[in-house]
Amino acid sequence: MEKKEYDAVILGGGLAGLMAANIVAAAGFSVAVVSKVFPTRSHSAAAEGGIAAYIMGNSDPNDDPDFMSYDEVKGGDYLVDQDAAELLSKKSGDIVNLLDAWGAPFNRQPDGRIALRYFGGQTYPRTRFIADKTGMALLHTLFEHSTGFKNIEYYNEYYVLDIVKEGNNVNGLVAMEMKTLNPIYLKSRALLIASGGIGMMYKHTTNSYINTGDGQGIALRSGVALKDPEFVQFHPTGLYPSDILISEAARAEGAILKNNKGERFMAKYAPHKFDLAPRDIVSRSMTIEIREGRGFEGGYLGLDLRHLGKKYIIERLALAYDAAKNFSGVDASEEMIPVRPAQHYFMGGIDVDTTGTNHDLNGVFSAGESACVSVHGANRLGSNSLLETVVYGRETGNTMVEFLKSHKNVETNSNVDPIVDAAYAYIKRETGEHFGVLTEELRDIMWDNVGIFRDNDKLAEAVSKIKDLRVRARSMYVTDKTSNYNTELFNALETRNMLDVAYTMATAALNRTETRGAHFRDDYPTRDDQNWMKHTLTYLAGDEIKISYKPVTYTRWKPEARVY
Amino acid sequence: MEEKEITVNIKKYNDKDGAFWKSYKLKADKYTQMTEVLRRIKSEQDPSLAYRASCHMAVCGSCSMKINGIPSLACRTIALQAVNEKNEINVESMDYYPGVRDLITDIDGFYDKIYKVMPRLIADESVLMGENEQRMTPEDQTEVWKFQECIYCGLCVSACPSVKEDEKFLGPAAHAKGFRFIDDVRDTKKQERIELLMDSAYRCTSCYMCYEVCPQDVQPVIAIKKTKNYLDQYKGDTPVTVMARKHDDTIVNLIETTGKIKESTLFLKTFGFGEAMRDAVDMLKTGKFKYAFEKDSKVKNMSEIKNMMGEKK
Amino acid sequence: MKVAYYPGCASHGIAKDVDIATQMIAKDLDLELMEVDDWNCCGGGFMDDKNEAVHASLNLRNLEKVEKMGYNKMATPCSVCLNSHKIAADKYENDPVLKEDVDERLKEANMEEYDNGVESEHFIWVLIRDVGIDNIRKHVKRPLTGLKVGTYYGCQLLRPSNVMGFESAFNPHSVMDLVAATGATPVAFPMKTACCGFPLMGSNPTVALKMANNILSSARNEGSEILVHPCSLCHLQLDVTQDKIQRQFKQDWRLPAVYITQLIGLSFGYTPKQLGMSKGSIEYLKSRGIS
Repeated sequence: MEKKEYDAVILGGGLAGLMAANIVAAAGFSVAVVSKVFPTRSHSAAAEGGIAAYIMGNSDPNDDPDFMSYDEVKGGDYLVDQDAAELLSKKSGDIVNLLDAWGAPFNRQPDGRIALRYFGGQTYPRTRFIADKTGMALLHTLFEHSTGFKNIEYYNEYYVLDIVKEGNNVNGLVAMEMKTLNPIYLKSRALLIASGGIGMMYKHTTNSYINTGDGQGIALRSGVALKDPEFVQFHPTGLYPSDILISEAARAEGAILKNNKGERFMAKYAPHKFDLAPRDIVSRSMTIEIREGRGFEGGYLGLDLRHLGKKYIIERLALAYDAAKNFSGVDASEEMIPVRPAQHYFMGGIDVDTTGTNHDLNGVFSAGESACVSVHGANRLGSNSLLETVVYGRETGNTMVEFLKSHKNVETNSNVDPIVDAAYAYIKRETGEHFGVLTEELRDIMWDNVGIFRDNDKLAEAVSKIKDLRVRARSMYVTDKTSNYNTELFNALETRNMLDVAYTMATAALNRTETRGAHFRDDYPTRDDQNWMKHTLTYLAGDEIKISYKPVTYTRWKPEARVY
Repeated sequence: MEEKEITVNIKKYNDKDGAFWKSYKLKADKYTQMTEVLRRIKSEQDPSLAYRASCHMAVCGSCSMKINGIPSLACRTIALQAVNEKNEINVESMDYYPGVRDLITDIDGFYDKIYKVMPRLIADESVLMGENEQRMTPEDQTEVWKFQECIYCGLCVSACPSVKEDEKFLGPAAHAKGFRFIDDVRDTKKQERIELLMDSAYRCTSCYMCYEVCPQDVQPVIAIKKTKNYLDQYKGDTPVTVMARKHDDTIVNLIETTGKIKESTLFLKTFGFGEAMRDAVDMLKTGKFKYAFEKDSKVKNMSEIKNMMGEKK
Repeated sequence: MKVAYYPGCASHGIAKDVDIATQMIAKDLDLELMEVDDWNCCGGGFMDDKNEAVHASLNLRNLEKVEKMGYNKMATPCSVCLNSHKIAADKYENDPVLKEDVDERLKEANMEEYDNGVESEHFIWVLIRDVGIDNIRKHVKRPLTGLKVGTYYGCQLLRPSNVMGFESAFNPHSVMDLVAATGATPVAFPMKTACCGFPLMGSNPTVALKMANNILSSARNEGSEILVHPCSLCHLQLDVTQDKIQRQFKQDWRLPAVYITQLIGLSFGYTPKQLGMSKGSIEYLKSRGIS
């Protein structure tokens, strides 16, 4: 088997991975970036609305970083680690300036400074944006910046199989070149998992097809904990019926949600913030409206942009306008855009501290959506995912630099054959379960039972069904026996990862008997700070999930009622 | 929702069997994107079907292919809008790039050309140190953004006639990327970029194919034309740019003095006496020589032309 | 019917036969071609490489002249001139920064701001939309039955389709419809919408000639006896320059390339010589009994 050695291996070529790659490479260390897609295809590209930042001298005169942290803490329903939120806010201006220096073409004010606009849950406007393709523009900026480094090597279209461990230390990972199915052992002492989210396990998701929880899956299998996996964000405005994201920027620019009676129903649920209340609240309100018969036939609501005027819509919300037109046949300047909630973001993730370090396995780091630093708590605010990827991508990159300076690569070569054999087994098997069937069942279970409204029965059923799917997945096989870009094999491997991650999500959701942020229990409809002001940690131990807890870090904000 | 049965003919390919067509029938409604069609074929009928897809909203540039012969993003194509009168759709991999498997092609050559144009902003040191802030007018931002919107899908290069014939041509996407930085007031390497791009710019045939197929409306050919605007600042000297200079200078001079172009003068000045004489012999043979001396009156009101062509700004 | 007519430099130069044939059939079809007053070169494909504002101004000057003549449509036989005027008008309408510069130039030349009151059209669009295929068919005196004609569109007539707007850039049929009207057999070929390479003649002629040869070969491989095209500059590249192509690729065959109105003129009963065709085309057609 081919083997190569690097100082650091980074799994994922999205914003978090590339930011860290740039930092680690700038310090002179060798970096391999492994991704199952070419970096610009990463899901970061799909982030639309913007990146929140308090920039000194270029923000609302009444704003300051503490307000921003407070918004995050309240938005996350007090499950946020407050030191993490403060760090995020404090470094937000600085990171946006860095992105600007690296070439990100932020929209400008007439005087040439970076422009800003309101987003959901913000006390003052802080969102910086590049039309409504902010994620794409930032991703390209970081990728293009990285082409200046000779010590970053890209393994594009390589699929990760598993982490290699030697004792309690990371010893790299094994990946497979997708074009040939040739395995490669990438040895390193530091491993950054920055592989993004898990959306494909939900029937309705705004996520890319590639978001299958691969990083979380390999982490779980090597004994690393996922923190708070019960917290999943459902975005209010998925385009009906394709679930393509209509950015929150639309509502930030003045779009209004309306039911079939033409009522601005958010006035009832969030009398102060209306349509710009946090996403969990808006998604639940929409689901109630649809449930109670005030949706349109087919089960959707209207997003009304008409009063903004065609010119303004096209200038500021080009992507939303195009998406509505191309994918639902609606001219948003003349008709309401049909929308319904869809899975959007995974607040849970690989357990790391504010330096990006995981403490289960030496040398494991994580950043971006695959990580849980706990800046989003129980619900993430809009414009904060991009911010987290770059701020914590950089923090983690810096941590890795220090780690690399003080550690040497593990000397021994681990035996990685079993990892490869396990993958090839799917090809060698002639009969069994097919990934397509398992994935479709999983997508239904997660949407129906681990969705916007949850209760004991639904969640218990989900846990038992997922257990069953995991058993069936052991006899998964692929019909395509070639080694010629065999995408069927990779779909099967993705299914394995999704099942492991879904298992922790359903189990943790069943376990948390309260309502908090995006985790809404019909049978426990209120927040229970007494018993549940704590993070869930889930470990995969064979066929069981082990749950433990971790306290929430407070600095200055005491829990209070969450009213918008 | 109303559904219609469609037939999707896909040109499959693998190393062992080579290329062959295979047909699939499935139902689609008026919203069904071609990426969803492919996903369902893979999930329900033919798990071996290989294609790339990621965001399904036209920002990641993965699902480039030919649909009914037209270079397209699958996600941007709605199945029922693409079917012919027999409710059929033909799907193939992109032209130009080597095939890998089914709809997947090897586009490393495409990326390599982009890397050649130094595709990254080099800001002033003081900005990188955080001592200075960069400003940029909204108008400048709009122009940079236009050419930065490229999503690396590769469709333009797959359809470009010059790329196929001329390995020294960097291709539309790389030019859009390269010009995006020439055009960025925050960059410090303008001259270097002009040197990198100019020879290649004059290898573009201006056929607007890239403009036509670009799913992001980046208009790479316009970026190439705007790059050529900097010919006067170009210090290099290649056979292509030397000829281009002669050619362009002659045209400008003809328009400035007569308001019109006379090809015979243009041929003489561009190709030199020898080649122009050969052309003349060819024209004698074809009977077109007489047209070379066709006298067209020059523009009467030449002051209008001269005033319009004066330096502005 | 009267229509403003912009011949373009090439068709008043080495591609004079494009103008000759166009004038001939226009007369037969009761189209009165009113040459644009004191028109200037559009600078298509070159001037915009030098300076976009100068380019746009030159084109708008022509369009303003047409407006002054009292027409709202300008027909041209040249795809490059067509593309140039349409792109200029489009940029003027959609690019406020450019518009400002152009307005200043127009003012310097004592002209008004342009109000987009004139549509530029290709002469064949006028033939199809205003004259009508049926009407053209009625004028056919000598159906070109059995003549296999490769139908070539080239680039600038079709692209960018959102600006040109007449037909699909990938499945066009205007030239085919006109060829069918003459009684000849239209032959579609794979490279029918590829570029002929002419714009590269001024900087990279080797590749330019290769492109031209690709078109000719592609048409010939599908069984075309002659090639018909819609552009004065394609005419220079595919007709006038064929000897050069032969030399470069050491080829022993020629594929006569004629302008679309020349083919229509043949079917209207004019001789190849009257239509100003080149010797090779005259000889080939003679061998097919058309003279």
